[in-house]
Order: sequence, then structure tokens, then C-alpha cells
Amino acid sequence: MIVLRRLGAGLVVLWVAATAAYLALLAAPGSTVDSIIGDGADTPLIRSQIIQEWNLDRPAVVQYLDYLWRFGHGDLGRSYLLQRPVRDVIGDQIFPTVKLALAAAGLGIVLAVLLALTTRRPWSRRVSSTAELVLVSTPPFLIGLVLLSVFSFQFGLFPVSGDRGLAALVLPAITLALPVAGVLTQVLRDGIDRALEEPFVVTARARGLRERAVLARHALRHALLPAVSLLGWLCGTLLGGVVIIETVFGRPGLGQVTLQAVGSEDMPVVLAVVVFSAAAYVLLNTAADLALLVVDPRLRASTS
Amino acid sequence: MRHRFRLATVVTLALLAGCSGGGSGATDEAGAPASGGSLTWAVETEPITLNPHQYAQAKARLLVWNSFEALLTHDDKGGYLPWLATGYEASPDGLAYTLKLRTDVKFSDGTAFDAAAVKANTDLLLSEGYAPTVKAVQLKNLKSVEIVDPATVKYTLTRPDVLILDFLSSPQGAIVSPASLTAAKNLKAGGVELAGTGPFILDRYSPGQELHFKKNPAYNWAPANAGHSGPAYLDEVTYRFLKESSVRVGALTSGQVQVIEGVPATDEPQITGNPTLTLSKGLNSGSAYSYYFNTAHAPFDDIKVRQAFRDALDVGTVLQAVYRGTATRAWSVVGPTSPFYDKTLESTYGNDPARANATLDAAGWATRDSDGFRTKNGKRLTARLVQSAPFVRDRRDILAQTVQAAVKQSAGIDLQVAVVDQGTATKALADGQYEIFDNSRADTDVGAALNLLLTSNGAINRTGVKDPALDGLLDKAVSTGDNSARSASYKELQQKVITTDALIQPLYAPADQIAAAKTVGGLHFEPTAGVPGSAYNVWLGK
Repeated sequence: MIVLRRLGAGLVVLWVAATAAYLALLAAPGSTVDSIIGDGADTPLIRSQIIQEWNLDRPAVVQYLDYLWRFGHGDLGRSYLLQRPVRDVIGDQIFPTVKLALAAAGLGIVLAVLLALTTRRPWSRRVSSTAELVLVSTPPFLIGLVLLSVFSFQFGLFPVSGDRGLAALVLPAITLALPVAGVLTQVLRDGIDRALEEPFVVTARARGLRERAVLARHALRHALLPAVSLLGWLCGTLLGGVVIIETVFGRPGLGQVTLQAVGSEDMPVVLAVVVFSAAAYVLLNTAADLALLVVDPRLRASTS
Repeated sequence: MRHRFRLATVVTLALLAGCSGGGSGATDEAGAPASGGSLTWAVETEPITLNPHQYAQAKARLLVWNSFEALLTHDDKGGYLPWLATGYEASPDGLAYTLKLRTDVKFSDGTAFDAAAVKANTDLLLSEGYAPTVKAVQLKNLKSVEIVDPATVKYTLTRPDVLILDFLSSPQGAIVSPASLTAAKNLKAGGVELAGTGPFILDRYSPGQELHFKKNPAYNWAPANAGHSGPAYLDEVTYRFLKESSVRVGALTSGQVQVIEGVPATDEPQITGNPTLTLSKGLNSGSAYSYYFNTAHAPFDDIKVRQAFRDALDVGTVLQAVYRGTATRAWSVVGPTSPFYDKTLESTYGNDPARANATLDAAGWATRDSDGFRTKNGKRLTARLVQSAPFVRDRRDILAQTVQAAVKQSAGIDLQVAVVDQGTATKALADGQYEIFDNSRADTDVGAALNLLLTSNGAINRTGVKDPALDGLLDKAVSTGDNSARSASYKELQQKVITTDALIQPLYAPADQIAAAKTVGGLHFEPTAGVPGSAYNVWLGK
């Protein structure tokens, strides 16, 4: 029952996301024809041929329903601009993006947990939170360029571009992971602080538990709750971040495809990317809910 | 030591002179041409299509000629050289062009190149819905293509149009294996499935990352100006897409790529200050980057205001401020490298604020409002320039702001610059909500650009001028193949639009840059087009 409800809610989210993207592009100035023409020759004949090719003369509602109908049947359509099936355009690019996002998420989370647990002393804590603030407020673009110029251009440790093996993944993943780590560390540290004031910590200490064990086994578990709920935010940050990271590092991926598609009102591609992102979001949020059940036994009782 | 330094300086200077002359760009370090090796070249733009017929990005031109070839090619004097054709012959009335074809050419898919292949390509271009822009612009006067014999084709026109030769030398006129055209799953996107006759074969395309070409060992039909004959020197060449200029430069200085294309003025010192790298520049063909005055309504319907705008502006100083001396000033709408460029226009107008102010006073814009802008009957002297963000390059937005400040200060003209999305820009242009339109075109024959920009029904006519005299001149200039007659028509045209009618404010000649490790030889700019050439004549020094 819960599974069905989840599935239903997920589908509704997908539909709303696709519709919102469609409406947004419809409301944007100009038309698909304009963007296909670009700054090239613009004659009525050329226009009419483009309109005919893509059936753009149908009313917006009909086009919308047509999109939905075809989407429902797994047909993502063809890209206006790239003249290839959207399935190919996106299919080629999902894996590099997912790889980067997962690497960045993993790295960010590990960094955050380590930092939150180790920087408990006042001075280390101050240094760490300053660094976190700086990282959170620096545009990823800049972080990427700085990392590139030091580790790639100066020392030649990592290649600058492309999706070519593990070495090429290191710098982009770090660039994307640093701001994530910055936010998560702050949330975790705050959670740990609050947990440490709880009576059960006193009990644990009274049982003779070492401070490290208190932190890792008791306080961290409590601090994880708000952090886990941030998974949805994490998904958005990562998907938004890859747009910039991929451009700076010359990496293939969904970010570049999205940027180009939105700029040129390439409707089929935009819709496919939005639905994919929404699906990732739904999936991650479901995973977060399940994770909460694992972390917090109190929730298990209330759901059953 | 000192002596060697001097020697090095002399050599470097000589090389720089060679490069700026559009020479081979060979360096001592590269040594004599040698076969073998693989090269990585970072480029700014990922092409939106790899089908040469659909080509629309000047920045993608350097990729096209690696795997595809046209019937003719441009020389550096405004003429044409044989390529896949052995020569052409125009009928006396200018209505038919007969081309003899090479008989020793094979497409990389093994099929033979012949008259039937040429006809299949042209017929496809003429078909509905395949390449609307090519059909409506480049082939607008083409009636039909006939196979005379397997090695001869005849193009018949509806009216004399010498630009058909320009088409036959253009990427859109490249000949693709008809078998691959039929078999291609994504015809308009092109890619590895389309086979050409070029010195390289595209064997891998990783979208968002790179294009990989391997040598075509059977290649033996290079045009006379290609630098050598026989197969290409390089075994492999990879073009990597790096959109960020600083990342491209960093990749070059750290040796991760050997060649880059697109070096903005701000990054030039990093290349020129590095003894292992060279920088060379080529001016693009086509029309110069210019402001076109919209004469359809006030204030630029008055020629006095147009003249005053140009007098108010010191183009040289503005370019120096924005491009730090790396830009080449344009004096005509025709680019300075074109054989039809009218050099006599140089220094004939502009940078005379006193005259600008006097002209505006006389034209009725004598009063000023509280912000210091000129007014007439309570209306401010405003000119709106709308730039479409996706097509702003070379810091043209910054240039516009600098012009804005200059004309405000010198003559009280209110230039309003808006950088907007493509849709908003298109709408502003369609509704006539602009006074200045900015544009440059990279057509190899500037006539193609001028036809679009200046004829009464031109597809990019934004001046609103409908002048039979202009149309007549433009028509006359493309109705003959005689370059001196064409030159005379285009000079008359330039005198008219620049001097007599003051329709245009030319600004600078767009350029391309190549920066490379000195161990790379044979880098060059394509004759006439002025864009980086293909990798055919490029070699790696041992």
C-alpha cells in the first residue's frame, strides 16, 4: 500500500515537473523557430519549412498533450537542434553525470562526517567552520578554475578535460564535493552539539564510554537525522552544479546538454532532462525516508 | 649567450612576420615535415551538426575539411582552385557552369566519387525540408544539376550568379558519399556514419568531449594550395571541446594539448610570454563587425544624425580600450582581407566631435535634458542596440558599453544597450524596436553577406533601406565572374553605403587565433576564409 502510494506520488511529481517545464518554455519570449534559425538567414520560406518539419503550427495544448502521450509511451522524441533522438542525446550523457554526482556526493559526505567528528576542539572548530563558510560562498566555477590551475596546469597531476578514466574525475568531483561538504559539516556539527546536551549523553559518559565512542555511536546518529533530510537538497545542488563543472572541465554530461537545450528552447530535450531530474529527486527522497527509518528506530514504530 | 639571444629574437621576429602573413607557421623546433604521431587540439565550439550540408558555425569550419571536401576551393586572391573537380567552365551568358571531376577519388566507405554522387548531393540539398537555409540562400538561383558523363556535371542557373562558385567551395557544397547519406540514421546530425573523401576519417564522436579522426591512407587528391600531396602527416588528431578560454590556455601551457583555437585578448600575454609557444592570427573573410543604422524611423532616418553618430565616435580609441590593441579596425562593411575591399575609405570619416555636435545642432537636436542627452521637441536622442546573448562573442557587449560612454560624452547621444535572450532579440527586430543592429558574417565571398544585409528583400536587411540603386549594384556584382568588374561594382557600393548614405558604422574585422607548441608545424589559416585550416598539412616535430 505504502509502495503504491509512493509510486503514485512519484508519478504526480514527474507530471508536474514536465508540465511546469513546458509552461516555462512556452512563457519564455520567442519561439522554437527563432532559436533554430539563430542568427542565420531568416526568410518566411525557411520559417515555414521548420514549422512544417516539427509540426510547430499546432495549438500549444495539442502539442502539450502530444508530448505527454508520447512520453507515456516511452518515446522521448527528437531534438530540434541536434537532430538526433533524445534517447541518444541523453543516453550518452547520463552515465558521466551520474558518475560525477555520485563521486562528489560520496566524497562530500565522507568529508563532512570526518570534519564534524574530528574538529571538536575550539581552535580546529573555528578554522574548519571558516573554511566551510568560504567554500559554501565561493562559486564552484572559481573553485574549479583554482583547482585546475594548481593541480592540472602547474603540477600536471590530473588531466584537464573529458571523461577519461579515474584521474579525470578527481578534480571535478572535488570541486563539486567541497560546497556540499561545507553545508553538511555545518548541519552535522550543529546536530552533534545539540545531541551532546541531551541527558542520554550524560548516561553514556557515566557508563564510562570514551568521548570518541559517545560522538560516533550516539551523537552522530542523532545529528544524521537533519543531514539525511538534506538529501533532496543535495540532489538539486549536484544536478545544478554539474552544469558549471562540466563546462569548466570540458566533461560530457547532462549539464552541458541542458544548458544548450534550455538556451535554444529545444523542448524535447528540456522535458526529458526535467523528467529525469525529477525522477532522481523522487528516488533520492524515497531513499532518504528509508534511511531515516534505519537511523531512527522511533520512526519505525510510528509507521507500522 | 648574448649572441644566441639576439639570434633567437631575430628568428622569432621572422617567424612572427611569417605567421601574420598567413604563412605556413612552421617553426624551427618543428623541423621538416614528418609523418606520424597524434595531435590533440582544443577547440572552443562543439558543432551542433557534423553533416557538412547543415554547416552553420564558422567556428566549426576547421573540422569540416578533415573528412569532407568540395569541388573547388578558394585561393588567396579571390579566385578558385580545383579540388574534387579538375576545373570549371562558365557559359558566356553566366547561366551554366560545367565542372570536370577527378576520376581517382574514393569515399572512405569504398564507394566511388563521380558525377552521380555530385548530383545526388545537390538534389538532396534542393529537396524540401533538408537544408532550408542553403536552398533559400546559396542555391536560390540554381535550376538543376545534370550528369553530362560520369566525370562531368553541369549546373544550370535561372539567372547569372557567380556566388554558385562560392557555394561549390563551401562546407555546404561538400560531397558526401550518397550511400552513407541514404543509410544514415541521423542524417541531419551527421557523425561517423557519413563518409567523405577527406584526408582524415572521423571514427569517434563523444558528445560534450571530443572528436577523433584517423588518417585516410588512400588519400591522394589534395588541392594545389594544401601544402603537400598524398596522405596527411598525422596518424590521428583529436579535437577536444573546451569552452572556457582560460582552461584552453592552461591545457596548452601545461602541455595537455598541443594546439588551441580561440585566444581572447586578455589571455594573449600567457602565450606570447612563453618561449615554447607561438600565437598566430588570421582575419576572417566576409563582412566586418558593424553597426547598421535603422533608417525606418527617427532618429536615424535623418542622414545628419547617422553622420553625427560616426563623427562622435573614435573607433580606434574604443577598440584599444576593449581589446588592448589586438583588434583590427574596420573602415568598410567589407572585411579588409576581401579582394573587394575599398582601401580608399580608410580615415575618411569619424572621430570629429566638433562636427558631430554642429551637425546635431543643425539637425534640430540642439537642446539637452537634465542628464546631458540631446533632445528634439522634448524627445531624447536615443538609439537602442539589442544583442542576443547566445551570439555575443569577442566581448561585443563590453564594446557596446564603451561606445555608449563615448557617444554620450562627445555628443550627448543616448545609446541604450540590451543583452537579451534570442527570443526577445528576434521580437525586437521583427517589431522594429531598435535603432542599431550589430552583425558580422563570415561568408567566404563577401557578396553573399552583402546580399543578405543590403538588398531590399535581404534576409538580414535591418537598415530598412529599399534602394533600387543598391539592389542593382549588388546584382551586377554577382552576375559576372570577372573579378575586376565585380571589384568595381563593390567599390561603388561601399562608397555609397559608407560615404554617401552613411548607413553603417564599421567597427572591427573579426579574427581567429591559433596558439600552439612550437613543435607543431604546418598550422595555417584557410586562404580567403581566414579561419584555422584543417589538420591535413599539420605535423609534429620529432
